[in-house]
Amino acid sequence: MSELATDRRTTPNLSAGEGSKKSYWSKLGYGFLYLILSAFAVIQIYPLIWLVFFSLKSNQEVFGMSPFSLPQDPQWGNYVKVWTQGNIGVYFFNSVWMTVLSVFLTVILASFVTFAITRMHWKLSGLVLGLFMVGYMIPLHSTLIPLFNFYNTIGLIDNPLSIILSQTTFNLPLTIMILLGFYKAFPREIEEAAVMDGCSVHRIFFQITLPMTIPVLSTTAIINMIYNWNEFVFVNTFISSDQWKTLTIGINNFVGQYLTDWGAIGATLVISIVPILLTFLFLSNKIVEGMAAGSVKG
Amino acid sequence: MSNKYIITLYTLPALLLLLVLIYVPIALSGYYGLMDWTGIGQMQFIGLENYANLMKDEKFWASAGHSFLLGIFSVLSLLLYLAVSLVLVSKIKGSDFFRKIYLIPMLLSSVAIAQLWLKIFDPSNGMLNKLLEMFGVENTPVWLADPNTALYAIFVPIVWQYAGFYILIYYAALKNVPEEIIEAARIDGATPLQIALKIKLPMISAVFKVTIMLSLVGSLKYFDLIYVMTGGGPNGASEVMASYMYKEAFELNNFGYASAVGFGLLVICLGMTWLTSRLTKSNDDVQY
Amino acid sequence: MKKKAFSAVASLALVGGLVLGGCSSSSGTSEDSSGSGGDKTVVKMMHLWPEGSAKAQYTIVNDIIKNYEKEHPDVDIQTEILANEQYKEKIKVLSASNELPDLGITWAAGYMQPFVEGNMFAPLDDVLDGGLKEQFVPGTLEAFQTDSKTYGLPLELNIAPVYYNKEIFKKYNLEVPKTYDEFLKVVKTLKDNDVTPITVGNKDRWTGSMWYMYLADRIGGPETLNNAINRTGSFEDPALEKAADELKKLVDMDAFVKGYNGFSNDEAKGYFMNEQAAMYMMGTWELPNYTTSPDVAQDFKDKVGYFKFPAYEGGKGNIDSFVGGPGVGLFVSEASKVKDETKDFVSYLVQEWGKRSVTEAGVIPATKVDTANTELAQMYIDILNDLGNASNITLYADVQMSARVADVHLNQIQALYGGEISPKEFVKAQEEALAAEKK
Repeated sequence: MSELATDRRTTPNLSAGEGSKKSYWSKLGYGFLYLILSAFAVIQIYPLIWLVFFSLKSNQEVFGMSPFSLPQDPQWGNYVKVWTQGNIGVYFFNSVWMTVLSVFLTVILASFVTFAITRMHWKLSGLVLGLFMVGYMIPLHSTLIPLFNFYNTIGLIDNPLSIILSQTTFNLPLTIMILLGFYKAFPREIEEAAVMDGCSVHRIFFQITLPMTIPVLSTTAIINMIYNWNEFVFVNTFISSDQWKTLTIGINNFVGQYLTDWGAIGATLVISIVPILLTFLFLSNKIVEGMAAGSVKG
Repeated sequence: MSNKYIITLYTLPALLLLLVLIYVPIALSGYYGLMDWTGIGQMQFIGLENYANLMKDEKFWASAGHSFLLGIFSVLSLLLYLAVSLVLVSKIKGSDFFRKIYLIPMLLSSVAIAQLWLKIFDPSNGMLNKLLEMFGVENTPVWLADPNTALYAIFVPIVWQYAGFYILIYYAALKNVPEEIIEAARIDGATPLQIALKIKLPMISAVFKVTIMLSLVGSLKYFDLIYVMTGGGPNGASEVMASYMYKEAFELNNFGYASAVGFGLLVICLGMTWLTSRLTKSNDDVQY
Repeated sequence: MKKKAFSAVASLALVGGLVLGGCSSSSGTSEDSSGSGGDKTVVKMMHLWPEGSAKAQYTIVNDIIKNYEKEHPDVDIQTEILANEQYKEKIKVLSASNELPDLGITWAAGYMQPFVEGNMFAPLDDVLDGGLKEQFVPGTLEAFQTDSKTYGLPLELNIAPVYYNKEIFKKYNLEVPKTYDEFLKVVKTLKDNDVTPITVGNKDRWTGSMWYMYLADRIGGPETLNNAINRTGSFEDPALEKAADELKKLVDMDAFVKGYNGFSNDEAKGYFMNEQAAMYMMGTWELPNYTTSPDVAQDFKDKVGYFKFPAYEGGKGNIDSFVGGPGVGLFVSEASKVKDETKDFVSYLVQEWGKRSVTEAGVIPATKVDTANTELAQMYIDILNDLGNASNITLYADVQMSARVADVHLNQIQALYGGEISPKEFVKAQEEALAAEKK
C-alpha cells in the first residue's frame, strides 16, 4: 500500500480529451457557463482590489467619493504610517506563530477525536461527539468573563498560552464536525486491511489515516487559519501588553476616540491579508494533490 | 478496533480542553443567569426570574425570529454553493483558477467586509443605488437605514461572507469521491448531470448534513457584521440573539440577564439542531 | 522561574520603550527600570489613545508619565492602550473580575454610576482639596459626582456648535441663522437647490439626540429636559413634545442627508468634509479637522465656520445655552493596592494635561485654559470665549441617563427620525422608561 503520498502527478482538473466532438449547443452552453463563472469571479475578486484602493485613500476620499473610484492621490504614506507607528512587526510575528500553533493543535487534536469516534467502537462515543456538537453552539460572549476569571486565577492573563488554548478549543467542535463528514465517506477497507496485517492503531492513524485525509486536513487548516488570523475578542480580552498583541489589535490602533484613520486601517488589512492569501493558495493546492495521493489507484 | 487506552489517549486532550474552557464557563454563565448582576460589584440571587423574563421578552423573541430567518437564508444558500462546487469539480477548463478566486472573500476579516458593504449600501454615494439610478429607479431605498429593509440587506453580506467556506468544504468533499466510480458510471453512459446528482451528491450527503448544521447554528449565534454594520438597528430592526445578548451584557449593565439570553440561545440552537437532524435522517449514512 | 524573570524583564523593557515614546531606540530609561524593577511601585494605567489614531494625546500622556517617573524614580507607570469600543468592553470584563487597573478612563454620570454603586471607583475629593478643585471649569466636576463625592477627574470639555460650509452658504446668499425661523429658511433654500442641508450619522443615535436636545433646550429652557431626567419633572412636558414635533418637521422637509439612520458618525461626517452637505452638528473635538489637522486640506478648512444653535421664538432657552459637557475623565480603582501613589499621579496628570491638551492635541480640557499665553487657531479662541460666556451647558441626555433608559431614549430618537413614531409616542415611551426605573 502507499506508505506516503508519492504519485501526485495526475492532474485531474484539466479537461483532458473530453471536448472532442461537442455540438454547437453544448458550446453555447459552455459559453454561458463561463460567462456566469466569470461574473461570479469578478464579484469575488473585487473586494480584494477594493481593499487595496481603500488602503491608498485619505479619510476624506474614503467617505466622499464613490467606493469604486481609484485613489486620486495614492497615499503610500498610509503604509509608512502603519509600519512606523505602533508595533506592527511584533504584532505580525505574534499573529503568525500563534496562528500556526493553534491551527496545528486544533487539526491534530480534532483528527484524534474523529478517528476515535468513527473508527473505533465504544459506548460513550456518541456522548463525546454530542459534547463537541453542543460546544459549537455555545456563544462566545457568554464564556468571556468566566474564561477571564479562569485564566486570571491560573496566571495566564497576558500570556500567549491563553490565546492559543482558547483559539484551539473554540475551533475544535467545528473542525471535528467537518472531519466527521469526510471520515464517514472515506473507505475503511484500507484501514481494515492494515488491521489484518497487524498494524498498531498508532501506525494506522499516522501512516494511513492522516495521509489519506490530507485534502480535508488542508480544508480545515485553511478554515482554522482564517479564523485564528482574524480572531479578535480573545486577544483583546486576555492580552494587555503590547508584546503579545496581534495584527487584529493593530488595526484598532487606528480607531480613535473621535477620529479613525481609515486609510491606515486599510493598509494594515492589506498587509495582514498577504500571508494568509499565500498560505491559502498553497494549502488549496494540497486539496487537489492530496486527492491524487489518497485515491486508491495503486 | 477497541482499545480503551487508545481511545482515552486520543480523545482526552481535546475533551479536557472542551470541558474546562467551554463547558465550565457556560455552566458558570448559566449560574450568573440566576443572579441580578450588573457585571460590576455584588450579585444577588434571584432564582429563575431572569429566565422567566426571557420567556416574555418581546425583544428577545423578535431577535430570535431574525436569527431564525438568517438561518433559513443561510441554509438555502448552501444549495447555490453546492451547485457552484459541482461545476468547479467537473473537469472544465480553468476550474482551479475559479475555485481559488471564489474563496478569496473568506480571507477578509469582518472589519474589511463591513466597510466594503457599508460603502455598497451607502444611499447616495454607494454602488448599489448608483446602479439602480442608472436603470432609472427613483426614490432608491436607503437599505440599512430603513427598518423594513435593514434586516434583509444585512443578510446579503453575511451569506456572501460564507460562500468561500462552504464551496471549500464541498469542493474537497466532491474531490473525495473516488474516480473509479465516476469512470464506471461514465462508461455505462451516464451524463455529467446524472453523475452529479445520482453519484456525487449521495456520496457527500454526510458532509452536506454537517454543513446544514454548521450553517444553521452559525446563523443562530451570528454576531460580527450585525454588530459592526447596523448595531442591531435601526431601532432593533436587525437585532439578532447574539447582538441582543452583547448589548444587555456590555452596554446595558445587565449581566445576569445577558447570561440568561446566552442560555436561551443555546437551548434554541439545540432544539433546531435536533429538529434538522430528524428531518434529514431519512437516507442516513451512505457509505461504501 | 527563569522564564518568569525573563518575561518580567522583557515587559519592563517594553514599558520603558513605550515611555520613551515613538520608535527611539535610546535605552537609558529602559535599562534603569529593568535594573531596579523589583522594588518599584508599579501603577497600571489604561487609556484609549492609541498612537495610530490619537498621536497627540498619546504623546502628551507618555511625556507626562516620563516626567513624573523622573521626579519619582520609585514609581513605574505601565500603560495599556485600547481603542474606544474595545476599551469599554475590556473595562466591563475587568470590573466583573474585580481586576480594574489602578488608573483608567471613565465617562460621566450614567456610565459611571454602576461602577460607583459597585464600589469600584475611589472617591477623589481628597485629591481635589488644596487648590485642584478650583482649577476646574465650574460644572465639569459635577458630572462625575454622586452623593456629593467625586469619582472622576474630567479631562475634556466639549460643546456642540453647528459647523457650516461658508462657501455653500455664500453661493445661495445665506446668512448665519440667528433664529429658528431663519434656520428653517436656510434649510429650505438649500433643499430647493438640491444641496443636502444637514448631515447626521444617526446609526450612532447620540448624534441625532443632540439635535433634539437643542430643540428641547431652546423651546423649554435647559431645566425642562434635565428635570424630566432627574424626575423632578415629566418627559411628557409640552415643551419636550413640541421639540419632537419640530424635529419631525425637519425630517419631513428632508433636512437630513439621505440614509441618515444607517450612517455612523464617521460616514455622515464624510458628506460634510467632502462638501456634499452644508451643515453638521458635532462636539468641539472636531475642531482639529477645521484648524490644525495636517490631513485636511487648508482650502477646506478655510470654508468652515460655526454658529450657535439658533434661538426659538417664544421659547424659554437662549442662544448661549449649549449641549455638551465633560467627555472622558480619570478614575482611580478602589481596589488598587497603590492608591496613594495613583492619586498623587492622577493629580499631576490632570494638571499637566490641562496645560498642554488644547495647544498640542486640540482637546479643550476641563481645567481652565489660559488663552492669553497660548497660540491658538481663531476658531479655538472663539469657542473658548463662547464657553466662557455660556449661560448653561446641558450634559448629553444619553450620558445623564442610566444605560437602560439611555438605550430607550436613543432608540426613540432613531424611531422619531425614521418617522416610525409620533412625537406623542416619543415622549410617552421615555416617560415610561424613566418612571419604571425610578421605582
